[in-house]
Order: sequence, then C-alpha cells, then structure tokens
Amino acid sequence: MNPYVPILALMAIGGGFAVFSVAAGAFTGPKRYNRAKLEAYECGIEPTPPAAGGGRFPIKYYLVAMLFIVFDIESVFLLPFAVAFDSLGVFALVEMVLFVITVFIAYAYVWRRGGLEWD
Amino acid sequence: MNAPSVDYTAVAPMLAVFVAALVAVLVEAFAPRAQRFIIQVFLATVSIATALIFVVYLATQDTSKTTAGGAVVIDGPALFLQGTILVLALMAVLTMADEASPESSAFTAQASAVPGSVDEARASRLGLVQTEIYPLILFSLVGMLLFPASNDLLTMFIALEVLSLPLYLLCGMARRRRLLSQEASLKYFLLGAFSSAFFLFGAALLYGFAGSVRLSAIAAAIADGGGTTAASAVVGKDGLLLMGIGLLAVGLLFKVGAVPFQSWTPDVYQGAPTPVTGFMAACTKVAAFGALLRIAYVAIPGVRWDWQPVIWVIAALTMLVGSIIAIVQADVKRMLAYSSIAHAGFILVGLLAMDRAGIGAVLFYLAAYGFTTIGAFALVTMVRTSTPDGGVGGEATHLSQWQGLGKRSPWLAAIFTLFLLAFAGIPLTSGFTSKFAVFSAAADQAPWGPGLVVVGVAASAIAVFFYIRVIVLMYFNDSVGDAVTVTRPGALTTLAVGVGVVATIGLGILPSAALGLANSSSVFLP
Amino acid sequence: MNQIHWLYLSVLLFSIGAVTVLVRKNAIVVFMGVELMLNAANLAFVTFSRINGNIDGQVIALFVMLVAAAEVVVGLAIIFTIFRTRRSASVDDANLLKY
Repeated sequence: MNPYVPILALMAIGGGFAVFSVAAGAFTGPKRYNRAKLEAYECGIEPTPPAAGGGRFPIKYYLVAMLFIVFDIESVFLLPFAVAFDSLGVFALVEMVLFVITVFIAYAYVWRRGGLEWD
Repeated sequence: MNAPSVDYTAVAPMLAVFVAALVAVLVEAFAPRAQRFIIQVFLATVSIATALIFVVYLATQDTSKTTAGGAVVIDGPALFLQGTILVLALMAVLTMADEASPESSAFTAQASAVPGSVDEARASRLGLVQTEIYPLILFSLVGMLLFPASNDLLTMFIALEVLSLPLYLLCGMARRRRLLSQEASLKYFLLGAFSSAFFLFGAALLYGFAGSVRLSAIAAAIADGGGTTAASAVVGKDGLLLMGIGLLAVGLLFKVGAVPFQSWTPDVYQGAPTPVTGFMAACTKVAAFGALLRIAYVAIPGVRWDWQPVIWVIAALTMLVGSIIAIVQADVKRMLAYSSIAHAGFILVGLLAMDRAGIGAVLFYLAAYGFTTIGAFALVTMVRTSTPDGGVGGEATHLSQWQGLGKRSPWLAAIFTLFLLAFAGIPLTSGFTSKFAVFSAAADQAPWGPGLVVVGVAASAIAVFFYIRVIVLMYFNDSVGDAVTVTRPGALTTLAVGVGVVATIGLGILPSAALGLANSSSVFLP
Repeated sequence: MNQIHWLYLSVLLFSIGAVTVLVRKNAIVVFMGVELMLNAANLAFVTFSRINGNIDGQVIALFVMLVAAAEVVVGLAIIFTIFRTRRSASVDDANLLKY
C-alpha cells in the first residue's frame, strides 16, 4: 500500500469532521441575529472600547499568555516523542509519563493559587 | 534507536532534591496555609540531608562514571562540589527558616503585592509567612548540583538556567526595602539572561567546530587539529573555536562575578534578602566555578595558550578592582559583594594553574569561602535598626550603624571579626590556607605564574585594609546609641553560624584532611 | 543556496539583539533583545546541524526554545511586579541601588 494513503485517509476524516460539524450546526441550530452576534469576534468577551492610556491591554492578558506559553511549549518534547515512540520502547514512555506528571504538578499549583480565574 | 540508560544511583542526589521540589510545589498548592511553613522547612532540610548522604555514599564508592546518555558525569570534582553545595545550602536554608517568623522575617509575605498597598498591609496583618521560597531554593539547588556535573554544553546551559531563574525571583522577595529588592531582581534577571545568551551562542559555535556539544568531543576535535567538521571547513576552524570559547567564557565569568562582568554583583547582593544573598554568594559561586573548571580542564586544555593570557588579565583585574572598590563602600552588604568579586579573582588564579594542585586548591578555596560567606551574611541579618516604639526594624547595613558593636554585642562582633580575618587571609583561618593553596599552585607555573601571584598578594594587602577598617569601627568607635539593636538569633541561625565558625577555624588550623580530600577529588573524568 | 548565509543571518540577529539590550530603555524591549539573541543561537545550531550533517543541533534548538519560554515567564513576572510598583518599565528609572 502506498505510504501516503493513511495520511490521505486521516486528512479526509479530519476534513469530513470539520464539514460535518459546521453543517450540523447550520442545519440544526437556531438562527437569531442580534447586535451581540454581529459584533467583531473577540474571544467570547464583550468587545470593549480602547482603554484610556493608549489602548494598553490589562495585565491579566499577560498572565494568561504566560501560562499559555509554558503549557504550549511542553508539546515541543511530546512531538518528537510521538514520532519515534514505538522504537524507543517502554523506558521512553515511562519517562514521558513522568514528564507530563511534572507539568501537571505545575498545573495543579496554578489552578489552586487562582491563576486560572479571570477576576 | 536505543533510549539512553540512566544510572539512578549516580544521579540520586539531584533526583532527591528535584522530587522534594515538586512535592514542595504540591504542598504550596494543597496544604493548609498554617502548616505550610513547617512542612516546607522539613521537606527542604530532609531532602538536602538525603542528597548529602547519597553524595557521601557515591564518594566512598570511588567509581567515576558518565550516565544519562553521557550528559552527566559523576567524578571527583563533581562529587566534592555537590557535597559542598549541599552543606552550604543546608546552612542557608537554616538561616532562612529562622528568619521566617513573621515579625523578623527577611521575606515579604506576598511577593505579588505592591509595596505599601492594602494587599501588603493585610498580608502582614494576618501574619502570613512566605513559604514559596523553599521550592524555589530547591529548584535552584537542582541546577547547582547539575552545573558542575554536566558533561555537555546543552546540559550545562539547562543547569545554568535552572539555577538562575529561581534566584532571579528570590532576589525580589525582601520584606523591607521592597523597591530595592525588586530592582535587584530586575537587574539580575536582565543581565543574567543577557550573559546566558552569550553562553548559548558560544556553545553554538563550538558545536559547529566539533560537531558535538560533548566536552570530550570538543577536546578531541581540538587534539585533531580541528577543522574536521564540514562547518569548520566552511567558516574557518580558529574563528569558530576561539569565538566560541570567548562567548562561553562571558556567560560563566558573569555568573562568578569576574571583572569586567561584575557590575551586577554589588547591586544584587545589596538588594536581595540577606539570607538569599548568602545562599547566592556561596552556592552559585561554587557551582559556576565547578562548571568553569570542567570546561577549562576537560574541553579546552588543548588551546590553553590562547585563553590563558586573557584569563590572566581577568584574574588580575578582578582581584584589584574588587579589593580597591571595596575600600570606599559604606554598606556592609556592598562591601561583602566587592569582597566576593576579589575572591573570584583569587579562585581564577588557582584555575589558571592547569594541574591537579590547581584543581585541589580551587575546590578547597570554594568550600572554605562558602562557609565563611554564609556565616557572615547570617550575622548581617541580626543587626537591625530600632523602631521608635522599641521594636525591631529592618537590617542596619550602613557601616556607620556598626560602630561600637564590639561593646554592645561582643559575641557578634567577635564572630564577624573572625569571618573578616578569614576573608582577608590572615593565618590560622581558612582564608589563609585557601589563598596559600591557590598561590602556591600558580607560583609553580612559570613564566606567567609568579607575576600573577605578586598581583594577588598586592590585592590581598589592599583588601586587608578595608576588612581591618570594619574591625576598628566595631571595637574602637563609639556606639551609635539605641538606633541599632542586635536581635537574639534563633536556634537555627545559631547552628548555621556555628558551623561557619567551626569550618573557618578548623580549615585554618587543621586543613590537611580537607586539603587531602580536595586533592584526591581533583581528577576529572575526560 | 550557500549555507553560510544562514550563519551570517544568525550573527546579525545576535548582534541586533545585543545592541537592543544595550541601548533600549524599556525593560520589555531589552528583554525582547535577549530573546532575539537566544533565537539567533538557535538558528546557528540548526544551520551547523545541517552543515555538519548530524541532528544534535536540531534537538538542542528544541531545548533552547523551552528554556526561552521559561525565561519569558520569569522575566515578565519580574517586570510586571516592578511596573505595578513604579508605573514604569524603564530601566533608567531603576536606579536606587548605587554606592
């Protein structure tokens, strides 16, 4: 079998899922247009006018950004592992589990200390 | 593809501290506030003691080896330095833990609260105790243990960052004079990150030169005459090698506080909470010199004729600048900072010797200096200003406030005098033995050695002047009255200072056992 | 394409970063300079990895990215605390510690 067939199949399944999700929403969901829905999309938060002081972002954005960067960048190690995990064996799997546990300890700390609360 | 094997016994000291640090984070997250302090102190001391036991066990096994796919090397110098760092860290944690009773603590209860704000007032009214310092100390300690034991430049860079990042934060956590403390933190961070970028670029160039960041591979590439990799042929091998070494040296010399990369030292030492300053001054110096030694002796001994003259000049400048500028300091923490710069110069003299006597001398010097330094900074935390209502204020670090302490607090003055004499290198203290060891190691190295020793002795003579000045101030000047009080130290601080005193006198009077240990530990595994 | 050009680019980026650290006043911009230097080193690692034909340099680049991210988090935390205290992120205003 051509080695690209599984990739094509994966792309087809992924694309199909996306089309299905959007189409299902369009067919089954209610259609009510109001002002809030027609506003520019801003991450689910009510759009705010530019703040006084040159439109600076609130400091909370930076907190979220910092947390995002830390958890996002952990995937740097997961990706090479995912590519080679079957040839690396059980040892590497155990190491990765330990690594993820370490990350989750940091996550537990952030959660308990209120780092994930917006206000 | 095979996963690298890890010898867990060999890395047990680091693992013990690392696991304790992770547990400490969980304690911060889940334990009730009232019990955190006691749990954290217990966790920190027990884990450091456990790691120390592992180090001693490994030292008795007498098997040098590389592990973790060759990234970590456990040999004589690594074990000696790890043991030294752990003992010093234990002393530092004791001084911190004693501080942490709410009224006299050196640490702010809430580092995130703006100084002078309602939040801060509420935190101190509730009697909150800062406990987040303990996980930070433990993480930093992991980096310090790994730094002198790393066998390639990548591991070294990771260790450098792991030891530095928590220290940047710890610097900003002082309870009093928060602005100074935060400023110290910012300066240390910006300059530290700047220097580690230089280290990394140097590592990149050496990787181009040798085709590997493994220290032994770099040494082998130099021995081959270099230019074996494609990159060396494209760029030119000397450019890659020498610029790589130069940039690498910037990063490491910054960490040890050598001239011309010393400018952060006084500011950071003054602004940081005093127990953290002691920890930083002693342990960071030990770890960074360990890494510097390993690079100099394992990776680049083949081109020593190229870099020795530069380090010669840096060592001479560091000794002189540190000693001379210390004379005009009016703040005891700043004075000790410049003293630590001068000591970095003396240690560089030993490093330059490039033989086993030099390594042994540097190892001994680092241990002796570390004990004295932690003791001295612990004493600084006890001299406080008095508040108008008779309470205890912040630390009285201005030298004029130390006038007449000899009459009012004879014990403190006597012990501080002992530490100052050790810094100055007066006979019968550890400072004399260690200076003698580095100078005699360097003096054998003709043609450049004797000249550097002359500079070193001159710098020592200058340094004696300002140490004696403080002693005169304490004993022969009139007291400043009730403006300054000397707090009674708790049991933990007393223990830490006691260890410092015993080590300072013991290594001065009976140095042979420790010198023997340092000399027998002085073989790097190539 | 001649791979040495990538080295020139990395040295150029490193120099721009270093100059940024030395001449700019805003702490965040200074910090961006440091990040630029780290990424210039990354580019050098990857280029050498390509020229030398071994993969170590690419692995190192991943580690450096992670360290840089950790450094960003610590750095921004420090800069924000000092900004909230002084309403200024200028490194020239941080001048209380001297002599």
